[in-house]
Amino acid sequence: MNNDWELVIGLEVHAQLKTESKLFSSSPNQFGSDPNSNVNFIDAGMPGMLPVMNSGCIEKAIKTGFALNFQINPYSVFERKNYFYADLPQGYQISQFEYPILTEGFVEIETENKVKKIRLERAHLEQDAGKSIHDIDPKYSFIDLNRVGTPLLEIVSYPDFNSADEVISYLTSLRQILMYINVCDGNMQEGSLRADVNLSVKKPNAELGTRCEIKNMNSFKFIRQAIEYESKRQIQVLESGGKIDQNTLLFDTSTGETRAMRSKEFAHDYRYFPDPDLLPVHISEDQIEKVKSTIGELPQQKLHRYVDEFKLEKDVAKIVISEKAYAEFFENLISSKLIQPKLAASWLVGDIFSFIKDKDLQIVDITDKSSKIIQLLEMIEKGTISSKVAKDILIEILQNNKEPVLLVKELGLEQVSDNKELERIVVEALIGEEDNIEKFQSGSDRVLGYFVGKCLKATKGKGNPKVINDLLIKKLK
Amino acid sequence: MSDINIKKVSYLAKLELNEEKAALYEKSLSEIIEWVDNLKKLDTEGVEPLHNITEKSQNLRNDEVLKENSTEQVLSNAPEKAQNFFRVPKVVE
Amino acid sequence: MPTIKEIKNQLSNKNISVQELYNDYYNKAKKSKLNSFNHLLEPEYNKENINSSQARYDEGKDLSLDGIPLGIKDLFCTKGVPTTASSKILEKFIPEYESRVTQNLLNDGSLFLGKNNCDEFAMGSSNETSFFGPVINPWKNKNNTDSQLVPGGSSGGSASAVAEGICVASIGTDTGGSIRQPASLCGVVGLKPTFGSCSRWGVVAFASSLDQAGPITNSVEDAAYLLNSISSHDPNDSTCSSHKRDNFIESVGKSFDRPITVGIPSDYLKDINSDIAEQIENTKKHLLKLNVNIVDVEFTTTDFALSTYYILAPAEASSNLARYDGIRYGYRGEGNTLEEIYINSRSEGFGEEVIRRILIGTYVLSAGYYDAYYRKAQKVRRLIKNDFQRIYNEVDFILTPTTPNEAFQIGKKLDPISMYMNDIFTVPTSLAGLPAISLPSGLSNNGLPLGIQLIGNYFQEKSLLQMASLLEKEFCFNE
Repeated sequence: MNNDWELVIGLEVHAQLKTESKLFSSSPNQFGSDPNSNVNFIDAGMPGMLPVMNSGCIEKAIKTGFALNFQINPYSVFERKNYFYADLPQGYQISQFEYPILTEGFVEIETENKVKKIRLERAHLEQDAGKSIHDIDPKYSFIDLNRVGTPLLEIVSYPDFNSADEVISYLTSLRQILMYINVCDGNMQEGSLRADVNLSVKKPNAELGTRCEIKNMNSFKFIRQAIEYESKRQIQVLESGGKIDQNTLLFDTSTGETRAMRSKEFAHDYRYFPDPDLLPVHISEDQIEKVKSTIGELPQQKLHRYVDEFKLEKDVAKIVISEKAYAEFFENLISSKLIQPKLAASWLVGDIFSFIKDKDLQIVDITDKSSKIIQLLEMIEKGTISSKVAKDILIEILQNNKEPVLLVKELGLEQVSDNKELERIVVEALIGEEDNIEKFQSGSDRVLGYFVGKCLKATKGKGNPKVINDLLIKKLK
Repeated sequence: MSDINIKKVSYLAKLELNEEKAALYEKSLSEIIEWVDNLKKLDTEGVEPLHNITEKSQNLRNDEVLKENSTEQVLSNAPEKAQNFFRVPKVVE
Repeated sequence: MPTIKEIKNQLSNKNISVQELYNDYYNKAKKSKLNSFNHLLEPEYNKENINSSQARYDEGKDLSLDGIPLGIKDLFCTKGVPTTASSKILEKFIPEYESRVTQNLLNDGSLFLGKNNCDEFAMGSSNETSFFGPVINPWKNKNNTDSQLVPGGSSGGSASAVAEGICVASIGTDTGGSIRQPASLCGVVGLKPTFGSCSRWGVVAFASSLDQAGPITNSVEDAAYLLNSISSHDPNDSTCSSHKRDNFIESVGKSFDRPITVGIPSDYLKDINSDIAEQIENTKKHLLKLNVNIVDVEFTTTDFALSTYYILAPAEASSNLARYDGIRYGYRGEGNTLEEIYINSRSEGFGEEVIRRILIGTYVLSAGYYDAYYRKAQKVRRLIKNDFQRIYNEVDFILTPTTPNEAFQIGKKLDPISMYMNDIFTVPTSLAGLPAISLPSGLSNNGLPLGIQLIGNYFQEKSLLQMASLLEKEFCFNE
């Protein structure tokens, strides 16, 4: 990026709330159904139909309020945002304007090991619109109202970001938090989390520049590309003496460029006013306290606990908490208290994750095997099997659903820790190795590794390396 | 006279008025706005706007799914439909 | 005209069958030349309902409105029956659902004779804005019998049909006077309940914070019968009250066992004509006979009510009517683009007055005008509500004229503002959300019916109907 210019970015994130039913109707809130099958007369904006507020959405907004350090407002009002669009059946979107449910929050993000506080201006509840499908037919667009009325929480930040990295770091952590508190499923491909990016550029210490808004992006990759493209574009315009028009832009994923949406004859005038079909939302202290007790541990709290209590390496802990499902899997592994958290974490982020990745699976696909994995880890912990053997057995568990204890017995894979047996092997291993023994005694540690390897080979990998190691040292001295 | 931009107002309301009608409505709206302008005489300093006669809290619904109608019923009055979609001329964004 | 109670006795005593009764009203309605129905339901259509109603009478298990043929304002969505709001834009609309109010009426055994004509989207005070043509008032000016008179509006079809006797009663809606004003001009009873009494679910919306369903009947007792049915809590309407409903029939015709005070606002009577003044004077005499205490009261906000109403109602309407875009239902104009379809569907589908109100509403909500008009009007609305509350500290009821004039000639009133002035006495009550009833009180010099309006306190419909029934007996209007 050109060093003379600073980027100023603000984000509006639309998170679809994970509820059973829609914001103002009892139609299913579900992705991927047959066209217009999750639509009732309210969603279709039929004459005389009235909205009724879903209590589940208030609850999820309150949860978000806690998780993002917002002030939770005891009084909020739904208003109508009036505009015409084919997939907006009422001719208005019910949203919150003057009195949003949440105001003044913040999120801490980390980039290049620096912590930065991103201030959040507000978050409000609103209805999602339907979908117009333009690519089935050359002459027609087709309208599917399934998504109409899906509850959205729009989270609006202050223009506190100065780089694409910061934006991505924020979105990653926001997504993680919303998934942790079960407010949003975080599925970006399905549009559960979408962002509008407000971007302007300025010289250091100068006034804010004119901003453009890039609408409706649902991939981290495209958001990064759009920010990079648009900031370069604005800098180029300014450096060549032009000026930026305040515009609404679309990011074209095929060209990697932004372009202005068709401009209208007159500017938008949404004519917000309080929806006369709905009464104000009052939230009591009791209600807030009740929701608070259901939130559970947030990702950052987990991270600190894993590092402080379980003594995990911070990098390992970060991976384990990166998704709620991972953390839950991990906590299940150590719930018996027979397995050291460090051991469980290293197997999770190591062999278990690589297996999942290789096979293109999700953690949920293997949760039914966790009791077998626990048995396996216990055997490692007790020294019954070597980690080399354990790796093979893990694959057998994950791939073929094998019983680890039976498998170890069947194949005679128990680790040999019997001192007499190993002592015999160590003694045999040293025969005819006078040169190497001399090397060891004159200070070469590398030779020890060689002897351990030789002994292990003699046990067909079943010997306990630690015991062998100790025996060797004793003998060699 | 009021400053009604009838073209902008009708644009926002998605209504098209020919020149003659636009002039008539502009006059009519001006008269009505002038007529309601007597509200300016009333001091409303410190008065809270009244959104609704019932100022109680919202009646909330439990987060439950109820399926009470079919897709056919939703589409039954559609001027144009195809394969369970509503159909309109192609929209260019 | 027979009352619901009398008709039910006839049916119970087998003097007439439900089928005969229905056919009788249907035939009268079919012959009527007053254009009060947009759509009539043939006896064949209602066959099943007629039979089950008859069966209940035969078993002596008749429901509260069993077999009673009703008119329904064409603003209530009725499942499988065209619902047009008297607009071209909904000319072919057939709802797949039944409004809460009409469902209640069906549950209580009543039969729907058809859908009453009304002003387009209930916007009008003369029933002349209907796409299906004006409704004619059954009354004639005795000094000019050739001319056809308006029934008032917007529930003009309902009032005309009830006055003509082609349905026993009708359910209308009232936003700024749409039940009371036509009831007054047609010489029938019209009740607008407290906002939140009757569910708005399935009623084509005009102005959501004001719309309220209510009965138009030949007697106060009939109004009580219908209110018992239509007033109920509905969890599907967030603004519908959840309080326990009274039995409104119980006290009809009974004298009060406590002293009653009626306030008459002097500011309402400032510029009224002699016909109207006579109604008030006459009513006072009857009230005194009934031992009612009469006091003068004065509002401070009356002059501002119409302005407030003509900002708020069009504002809400402009948004409520945005859904009529030719995409999912209703009239679709020609067009090669989405934009053209919107514009043509709406410009061709809506009538002149509806377009005017959409434009007013759009203007007062638009950037730069919101505070000066919409927010200002909402503040004044609170002052109006407070004004009524202040007066209800002293009185039980408020008495005013219902309308400033008798029924006028069709096509005579052309400019919008003089038309809007028709609602001068009914609009303040609507803004305050209070219950009010219009009761026929006498005739004008031209021999045309006039009504008085009795206004009660919130959810005091039971005592309001009681007071009205006592006055009704005094007026002897129907004899």
